[in-house]
Amino acid sequence: MIRFIAQRALWGFVVVVSVVTLVFFLIFVAGDPAVTVLGPQARAEQIADFNAKKGLDRPMVEQFFSYLGILPCVRKDSPKYEREDGSRGFCGVLQGDLGESYSHHESVAAVIGFRLPRTLLLASMAVLFELIIGLTAGVIAALRRNRWSDTLIMFGTFVGISLPTYVTGPIALLVFSFLLGWFPFGGYGIDPLDHVYHALLPALILAIAGAATYARVMRGELIETLRHDHVRTAKAKGMPPSQVVLRHAIRNALLPVVTLVGLSLPFLVGGAIITEKIFAWPGLGLLTIESIESLDAPVIMAVVLMFGVAVQAGNLLADIAVAALDPRIRLND
Amino acid sequence: MRSTPKTRTRGSRWVAGIVTIAAAAVLGGWVITHFPRAPIGPRFVGADQETPRSGGTLVFSASSNIHTLDPHFAYDTLSTAACRLLYDGLLDYDYEGKMVPSLAASLPEVSDDGRVFRFTLRDGIKFHNGREVMAEDISWSMHRLLSERIGSPGYPFFKSIEGAPDYHVGKTDVIEGIVVLGPKTIEFRLDEADQTFLNAIAMPFAYPIAREHVEALEKAEGRTAVGRNPIGTGPFALGRWERGVQVEFERFEDYWDPRARPDQMVFLENISSDVASARFRNGGIDIIYRPSKVNRLFLRESKAWAPYRAEAPSPSVFALGLNCELPPFDNIHVRRAVAFAIDRSKLERLDPGKVIAATQVLPPMLPPYDPDLPQGQVFDLARAKEEMRLAGYPNGLPEPVTLWVRGEGEVQLAQFFQQDLKAIGIDIELKLVTFATYLKETGRPRVAQAAFTGWHQDFPDPSNFMDILFHSRSIHPENSENRSFYRNPELDAILDKARPEVDRTVRLELYAQANAILAAEAPWAFLYYPIEMFVWQPYVKNFRPHPVWLNEYRNIWLDLPRRRVSQSVYSPKVSR
Repeated sequence: MIRFIAQRALWGFVVVVSVVTLVFFLIFVAGDPAVTVLGPQARAEQIADFNAKKGLDRPMVEQFFSYLGILPCVRKDSPKYEREDGSRGFCGVLQGDLGESYSHHESVAAVIGFRLPRTLLLASMAVLFELIIGLTAGVIAALRRNRWSDTLIMFGTFVGISLPTYVTGPIALLVFSFLLGWFPFGGYGIDPLDHVYHALLPALILAIAGAATYARVMRGELIETLRHDHVRTAKAKGMPPSQVVLRHAIRNALLPVVTLVGLSLPFLVGGAIITEKIFAWPGLGLLTIESIESLDAPVIMAVVLMFGVAVQAGNLLADIAVAALDPRIRLND
Repeated sequence: MRSTPKTRTRGSRWVAGIVTIAAAAVLGGWVITHFPRAPIGPRFVGADQETPRSGGTLVFSASSNIHTLDPHFAYDTLSTAACRLLYDGLLDYDYEGKMVPSLAASLPEVSDDGRVFRFTLRDGIKFHNGREVMAEDISWSMHRLLSERIGSPGYPFFKSIEGAPDYHVGKTDVIEGIVVLGPKTIEFRLDEADQTFLNAIAMPFAYPIAREHVEALEKAEGRTAVGRNPIGTGPFALGRWERGVQVEFERFEDYWDPRARPDQMVFLENISSDVASARFRNGGIDIIYRPSKVNRLFLRESKAWAPYRAEAPSPSVFALGLNCELPPFDNIHVRRAVAFAIDRSKLERLDPGKVIAATQVLPPMLPPYDPDLPQGQVFDLARAKEEMRLAGYPNGLPEPVTLWVRGEGEVQLAQFFQQDLKAIGIDIELKLVTFATYLKETGRPRVAQAAFTGWHQDFPDPSNFMDILFHSRSIHPENSENRSFYRNPELDAILDKARPEVDRTVRLELYAQANAILAAEAPWAFLYYPIEMFVWQPYVKNFRPHPVWLNEYRNIWLDLPRRRVSQSVYSPKVSR
């Protein structure tokens, strides 16, 4: 088990480093950050000043290793660039310094620190809705197999999977916020309860596809489980049908759904990018779009790094969790 | 025995199906007939008060977020708009675009040679921390702005101050050309006469900021902390800032100009134009600009909204930049042919109320713009063909021309002109690139044959368009501001003469000559001036578009309490 975890962690590290390296150099291929940040009105002199301040006038390889924290700091605006004793310090990822955002004039950690909790709130509410709606619908469909309610639910899941958020989002906003006024019209609100209220509609929209998938998986799994011997035995010994379903069938049918939830998290954050844009939800998704548009390299790099680490850690944890839940799986095999 | 219940079940299913469909139809019909309609006019009106009074909260929004509230870094539209509430400069612009004193008691005394500007501050101006503003504060703020340590993008606008370049690179500790003559008097001495210096002084970069506050913050939390904890002299002080969500500004009681203002301003960030427009029509936002296209067309046509709507050209120009170093645009006649071949009225038809056809580099509100400029670029197919003949291409160009475009919007625009240029035998091939690539590559000589381009003024002076975009000094191996690589010694001489000229009439006459040259020589084929649309709620008073500042809301007052009105008052039946 430990060997497996170490192997996976090493692979994860290699993948993250490769992705970070690739993205770092891709940003430079995409264009000149100074020109993009300062905009089309920038004077050559402003661009030169910016490049000097951010260390962008140094060789790219030096910038990269300085970013990682292996070579000394190249950013003149960092306090580490010139320490009190006159020497140059390190200001890279290894030192926990993600740099300063080009356009926000603020440390990247602070910029992300504001945005991340908002995306997590949206994503967690979306997962909650996915599970509540998806599992309920799946169970109903399985128990009422081939009846009209099953057909209706399956049709609904088909529609739910087919409709992208950029279609459902604006329609939901138009109908439920603009015309009916049931939900706030986009935005984030200003206090915690308000945040949750503002998150309801975008989370529901974000949850549609996931809920539809879970409903289909749950239906299939439950139908399969209901045929198992242990369920038949439970029925035979006179257990009430609701208890049979709850205790013996649903519990077993849930395992693949748990795996699916784990695997869907990165997609959920990806989907949140579009949803955040539509619902003016000022989270990490919107920040990512802005940063890519303005070529705000330190923020792009930090987001990539964060997602990279999160996906790798998530996958590793999912493997470990499955092994822990199901003793038949041996990770060393 | 089996068949009977089966038949009954099938029959009952049919009945159930029909009942369900009927119920759904009834329900659907009810929903359709009773479903709320979109509001056709304002949902709220004011209290009909004549006298301006302070109070209430003004809510407005933008589709992006404010990057900083530190004026020394405010170089984007939204940060500038926010800083306009928090700070004041020595000078400002009135609604006619004329320069007026703000923190300064009057316009500066200018020496005969146009190199020395002496300002005296008003009495009783206070920072938001209650301390009175002194000339020393102006000097300290300018030193902060121009220091290399801070690295403000505002430096190039002030480098004509004596000693500023040496100070900027750390060779000296003080800027020689900034001299405090008394508690309220400060003098700026320039290396050479430059009339645009006053425009620079009116930019947010030069807004003073409280020294003791900045020093304490920088020491405790680092340089960037100033951008989120500002202390200025403006009509509003910062209340709360939920980053990326909204900024709340509170009215500053000790502000020197006592006119009525809202108690609070709420600036919503990251609200897309669709969301903002819909929220506005529901009464959730008090003033909007640049509504989404559908809403713009609606608001433009709506009689109910007509009294609360304004359209004003933006101080910008958009054009096709033609690279004068590369064939075929090294030939003036080909450039002129392009300028005459483009039917700009198509643009006005494509997006009504969004643009007006451009004939010259200067936008309509900026003197010496001339609506009847004889050299003005207008659609004239016969002249375009004649220019192609003069260029030696009576049957059109042998090779297609590559036009660099930066996105789907420009592709659509370019497709319009493709047809126009085809008519004079110029084939256009589009090259779609990212914004970053566009900026990098079009700033290099001999790379892009033609590209969509444009300019938004930094300050209202013709030099800000002409010097920066067309002077040969603006051509560099990388990052040229003169992206058409146009060189004309005659134009350079006129611009060099105009910039320091103290006599305004003479100065404008020189720029009028330059304007005519640029229209005639066509380094840019001018396309359009964008129009900004503003719409406000009936209870929002004293707003009108400002010729310099895009979101100028500091002089608004609110006619409260607002009253909700039935939408039927706007219906055609009633109005008839």
